[in-house]
Amino acid sequence: MRTTRIRRTALTLVIILLIIACFLAPYAWVVASSLKNQFTVFGDVTPLSWRAFVPVGATIENYVSLFERTNILRALLNTAIVAIGQVAFTLLLCSMAAYALTRIKFPGAHIVFMLILLTFLLPIEAMMVPLYQVVSGLGLSNTLVGIMIPWIASPFGLFLLKQAFEELPTELEDAARIDGAGHVRIFFSIVLPNVKVPMVTLGLITFLFCWNSFLWPLVIVQDPARQIIQVAIAQQGSPTQLPNWGETFAGATVATVPLILLFLVLQKYFTQGMATSGIKG
Amino acid sequence: MSTGEQILTVSAGAKTRPRKAATRRQKQERLVAVGFLAPFMLLLLIFQYVPLLVMARNSFYDYSLLNPAAEKFVGLRNFADMIEYDDAGRSFGITFLFAFGVVAFVIPIAFALALFLNSKLPARGLVRTMIMLPVVTSSVVTATMWSFLLDPSNGLINGALDIVGITRQPFLTSTTQALPSLIAMTLWQQVGFGTILFLAGLQGVPSELGEAARIDGATRWQVLWNITIPLLSRTTLFVVVIMTVFSLQTFAPAFLMTQGGPQEATNLIVYHIYNTAFIMQQAGYASALSVVLLLVVLAISMVQMALLRSRWNY
Repeated sequence: MRTTRIRRTALTLVIILLIIACFLAPYAWVVASSLKNQFTVFGDVTPLSWRAFVPVGATIENYVSLFERTNILRALLNTAIVAIGQVAFTLLLCSMAAYALTRIKFPGAHIVFMLILLTFLLPIEAMMVPLYQVVSGLGLSNTLVGIMIPWIASPFGLFLLKQAFEELPTELEDAARIDGAGHVRIFFSIVLPNVKVPMVTLGLITFLFCWNSFLWPLVIVQDPARQIIQVAIAQQGSPTQLPNWGETFAGATVATVPLILLFLVLQKYFTQGMATSGIKG
Repeated sequence: MSTGEQILTVSAGAKTRPRKAATRRQKQERLVAVGFLAPFMLLLLIFQYVPLLVMARNSFYDYSLLNPAAEKFVGLRNFADMIEYDDAGRSFGITFLFAFGVVAFVIPIAFALALFLNSKLPARGLVRTMIMLPVVTSSVVTATMWSFLLDPSNGLINGALDIVGITRQPFLTSTTQALPSLIAMTLWQQVGFGTILFLAGLQGVPSELGEAARIDGATRWQVLWNITIPLLSRTTLFVVVIMTVFSLQTFAPAFLMTQGGPQEATNLIVYHIYNTAFIMQQAGYASALSVVLLLVVLAISMVQMALLRSRWNY
């Protein structure tokens, strides 16, 4: 009885360690190697030693040359601008639309809702060719606005907020309406302050989506001055044609660390939002 | 508008009177609704519905993105080409194989991880954080990371194979190993998302059911097979569809790790569309390929909705 329990606990621990190793080892190797010179990176892998995962004799020269040689700083700044803009406009437009659909009675509401519902089915990433033509036709190619504008009217965001608005009791609003408040005032001073959690969740998911997007920015922007971080990282090269692996690893680290930090701090919201997208989708 | 008037109109609005002319109040409400909805709907129409129409139209034309004005109507020629030349068929075939591989591995592993994480565990939060890291890491960084991990001469995985005495593998440079390597990478990247969805589903399963069955003498396996898995069939279907649709649209690994090779062994359809439109400048043909991809994805979503509506409603 006792030995089976011990054996079971040991097995559980082994599984846990195995899972952690599987998911953490690649990150540890990349981050550790970003702090080494090429010779050491290769030497620690063949034969493989624990040193591969630990930055022994760390040097920041890869980071120095990364920031000096490439326009990664510019790319980081561009990405921050696009991400913040996209989050702000997504929150504003989705919450306004969700308010209209849950608080105002108007003819044709279900047609509007169907139009939004249908776009959920469109594999929009697979429609990049016509989207490229539409956005460049509007004169927005090679602009930061062009990167963010197609994704602002997010059906996912609308559904997330619509759900939250429906769950919000209407007594407060009824009282305000009797006191003569209009829709705009009710929206800004009663509804929005009471849906903070879904707003934060949507903001985070949008930020994540925007920070990590690749195919669309690759297509719509050619000007290096307007490049965003993922495209900049992608253009660093492949293992066989590279003089220095460490610099690529430094780039990958710089592109990933802000998101991982954000995720670690606000994990609850991320997981909630993703699970919601699963249940409601 | 005074308070008294407003109460009157509100109470009047409560009685539904169809086919009567709209009151001033109703007209005003409509105007407000338009104001609240217009920005969202405008962007939705311009960036989702207009591209849809543009794509459908352009699939009947022959043109290039560099000079779209010089277009030529070719009827169904682009679709006929798809059948005549085997590039489209091969690329779709590889993409389906890829999607099937991803789903076949993600579903059981994510489900097992969710069951594991749903039990009493030490460091449960830490494990959950770990498996979510690749989900929040960009596909570019993941692809870059894995092309170095899988490098034949200095990659970490070949270093590890050396230690356990297995011969080094070519991975991405081999026609037979490249696609399985991409599937393995995608599994690593997406399994955490599947686990979170299964965990959310598991939390909706009432624990009394399993406990009652256990008291009646059912084994753990019987509870799993006869209670937990049937109750999670809707979640499972949803994870299958999400993973399939996601896999069908995979781009970054083919672009960054293999350039569709070797010998087109990893020429995933979105990468093929990208190449056709932006590199080879055959935007009409690329539009036709996109139409087919869209129809495939729509069909999968329709089947999902039909199944969710009809069956498995516990």
